Amino acid sequence: MKVLGFDTATRATTVAVLDTDGGMAVERRDDPPPGARPRHTTRLLALVAEALEAAGADWTTIDRIAVGVGPGTFTGLRIGVATAHALARARDIELVGVSTLHALARGAAGPDVGGHGTAGRGPAAADDLEAVMAVIDARRGEVFAAGWLTAAVAQPDATPLFAARALAPEALAKSLQADGRAWLAAGDGAVEFRAALEHVGARIPEPDSGLHRVSAIEHCRLALGLRPEPPEGVQPEYLRLPDAEITLRTARP
Amino acid sequence: MILALETSCDDTCAAVVTGDGRILSNVISSQGIHDRYGGVVPEIASRHHLELVGAAVQDALAQADAELAEVELVAVTRGPGLIGALLVGLATAKAMAAAHALPLAPVDHLHGHIAAAFLEPSPLEPPFLSLVASGGHTFLARVTDHGPGYEVLGQTLDDAAGEAFDKGARLLGLGYPGGAALERLAREGDPEAFAFPTGARMPGLDFSFAGLKTALLYQVRELGETEAQQRRADLAASYQRAIIEALALRVERALKQTGAQQLAIGGGVAANGPLRERLSALGVAVDIPPRELCTDNAAMIASAARYVPARPFPEYLEVDVYATGERALVA
Ligand SMILES: [Zn+2]
Repeated sequence: MKVLGFDTATRATTVAVLDTDGGMAVERRDDPPPGARPRHTTRLLALVAEALEAAGADWTTIDRIAVGVGPGTFTGLRIGVATAHALARARDIELVGVSTLHALARGAAGPDVGGHGTAGRGPAAADDLEAVMAVIDARRGEVFAAGWLTAAVAQPDATPLFAARALAPEALAKSLQADGRAWLAAGDGAVEFRAALEHVGARIPEPDSGLHRVSAIEHCRLALGLRPEPPEGVQPEYLRLPDAEITLRTARP
Repeated sequence: MILALETSCDDTCAAVVTGDGRILSNVISSQGIHDRYGGVVPEIASRHHLELVGAAVQDALAQADAELAEVELVAVTRGPGLIGALLVGLATAKAMAAAHALPLAPVDHLHGHIAAAFLEPSPLEPPFLSLVASGGHTFLARVTDHGPGYEVLGQTLDDAAGEAFDKGARLLGLGYPGGAALERLAREGDPEAFAFPTGARMPGLDFSFAGLKTALLYQVRELGETEAQQRRADLAASYQRAIIEALALRVERALKQTGAQQLAIGGGVAANGPLRERLSALGVAVDIPPRELCTDNAAMIASAARYVPARPFPEYLEVDVYATGERALVA
């Protein structure tokens, strides 16, 4: 099976093609330099074209599309999901929505858990760690986070130990402390709020580690075990209401 | 056959139009939801676009009895508008086009409003003067060919005409968006009861509606709550008259200045009955497209797409949207 995966929930634009028959995965990505704006709009489809070519694939040979549904930046999510909807409808390809946090956690858990190999992503970081927490910077002093048992994170249907939510890093730290397990925390949110999370014993890879980056290869792998849905069923996981809605609700008696 | 998308504000629109300007379908999915917030909320508009755009495209193709494979060109609004909203339409259009290696035409929304006049069954041939007035834009342009260039003769310096209608309606307790409700209420009132400013002394062809809104606010305060309530219809009629006069006055000046023999009007405000009557009495041929081609729609984007260079696949994959100003209005 050939799966095309992409994710635009974080600053990065990541695209991958996984070919299970050929046992091959290619990734094409764009990581804007610090301070620069994400380039989801301008890079996503160009990277898709590059990844397809590198994998020797085209629309007639792609069996499934896996799109990251977040949580993450609202605008980025919509670019990814709108693109996935349109490609799936236009070419009648199966579509699967994949949690960006799950993909991040799965990648961070290291090469031993997946069984497909994760060459080039560094040594296993989670050798002696029982659980892995994916942490994405949600801005406004908050993070999006979800956590899994390291032994289970590779399973597409694994139930998270810590369900996805938006919360303050201090609140996340408190949860980790109360849980008591040995945690690995990865993602740009773990880098940003390293002090608070390390304070409660979480292990966090070096800032430049690839383990903090969302890679669409993980979306492809998780998608193999997820059930395709009609495009309209695949929607972003915003995890936050629009500001105007919050204002309206708080204004009401 | 052209498939077009328009998601620059709060309407999710898709249309199929033939190369010679016949509308095969024109789907407009109005979100409505924004009324409770008292204005369009960009984040909410963007979320709804994502939920609605796929169905809008499918409906447009189905009503046109067409398949995506038969489409020769995909057109999409690139700006100006709400960034997050535009991005949903652009991502969708680029992906649909890329999936079949079709060319893509990125279209300027305002060129779209002008190009509504080029559609069948009664296409208007340039040269003509175009007044586009809606909740988002108000401008006068001299149209000498099909575009994408046109000469902007005047534009609003503050509020758009439709915005003035909506703000006035809110001051009169008519809710949001209240333009249509204000027009209904105005029918029972005396347009001469109050003298609101029309900017007659402001030279040139630019518009300004901010002072008008303030004048209404002061008038309501001066009357006091009870009397203002009793004279709501008079206030509405006089306020509406001021907006219409402000528009008509500049159209008259522009007709005189350019010697144009034809006038086209577009934008949501073009649906206003008294405005249509006032402009029809100016002594030139007035082209008023049906309401669904005046308000934001994708058929007008398809129409404009016929006159902009189509970009071949994969040249357009890196096309971005723009909120305002990035495209010079004068070509
Ligand atoms: Zn418009």
